[in-house]
Amino acid sequence: MGVTKDQVEASLKAKLNPSHIEVIDTSGGCGASFEIEIVSEQFEGKRLLERHRMVNAALEEEMKEIHALSIKKAVTPEQWKQQQESTKPDAAAA
Amino acid sequence: MATINLSSTHTFPCLRSLSSLPRNTPALSFNSQVKAKPSLSLRSISLKPYNTGSDKPRTWLVASAVKNLGETDPIVLPGNEEAAAEVPSGTGVYAIYDKNDELQFIGLSRNIAASVSAHRKSVPELVGSVKVGVVDEPDRETLTQAWKSWMEEHIKGNGKVPPGNESGNATWMRQPLKKKADIQLTPGRHVQLTIPLEELIDKLVKENKVVAFIKGSRSAPLCGFSQRVIGILESEGVDYESVDVLDDEHNYGLRETLKKYSNWPTFPQIYLNGELVGGCDILTSMYEKGEVASSFKK
Repeated sequence: MGVTKDQVEASLKAKLNPSHIEVIDTSGGCGASFEIEIVSEQFEGKRLLERHRMVNAALEEEMKEIHALSIKKAVTPEQWKQQQESTKPDAAAA
Repeated sequence: MATINLSSTHTFPCLRSLSSLPRNTPALSFNSQVKAKPSLSLRSISLKPYNTGSDKPRTWLVASAVKNLGETDPIVLPGNEEAAAEVPSGTGVYAIYDKNDELQFIGLSRNIAASVSAHRKSVPELVGSVKVGVVDEPDRETLTQAWKSWMEEHIKGNGKVPPGNESGNATWMRQPLKKKADIQLTPGRHVQLTIPLEELIDKLVKENKVVAFIKGSRSAPLCGFSQRVIGILESEGVDYESVDVLDDEHNYGLRETLKKYSNWPTFPQIYLNGELVGGCDILTSMYEKGEVASSFKK
């Protein structure tokens, strides 16, 4: 039995204190493959590589079972805000 | 009647040039549609040249995406291969003519200018001029149709496939990048290493500018993430070395040792100047920001 989405979320929440988190199970139910979007203040001043390392470290236990982990986003709350705004140009124009 | 067997390897050069692109995961399949639409008459469809505005609504008649081959004006390429040629850099279909105006090859490309420039470097004697049909909204179907319509038109007129599109002809395939072999860290599992594997890895990433540790070989990656990494590096023209972490005969123990060496739990892993850049997600994000060529080719 693999890891569940809830386990992944719980570990990330406990260790990175995210202000936003989205975990998608892309394995089709076997729990071996996840996509992650995470927003945390702890990423401030860190390069993308270091941010990914933090996520990987937070999931150290789970990684033993996870086959594929795709970190789609690892951003700071500030970057997140900007990205949210820039993806809604229509709303701003209307 | 001249027919073309589109399910055969005639399409191979094009398949190769497209399949090395990132995200283009499913292989193009040329085999079904031609026979399904036997009455497709190219001349009766309104055709638009590539450089007119995009104000026209997009028609679902995909064959209209490019002009007829016969109606397209050739762009003559200067003899000096360094000289700039005015080939558009968009996506579409292109036909290469030699200096005697014999059609040599019809290809598809995501960057026609780059493909033509590569052909001029690799086979200058066969490249005299080029006809280009840029496809404005290049989806797979439209591109395939554009390529097929030019092939059919040529075959109708000449009774044969362009020499470069003949099965087994590799002249126009992207060779320099594909030719490189994956690096093998050891001669084989039976050979006792005299230095630790970790040192081998260290030497390897420091002595080569770009190294990609992937699952499978560079010509046949075995995992989607590795495939995307190869696709990005090749489409950006990055010169890189590759190591197959699944090759337990020549790279025995590499997976576990490399994970410790890099403190990174997954593959692929991409190194630049001896430092870990990251995995597929990080490379993809660099690619989307247009940073790959500038970072990796300096």
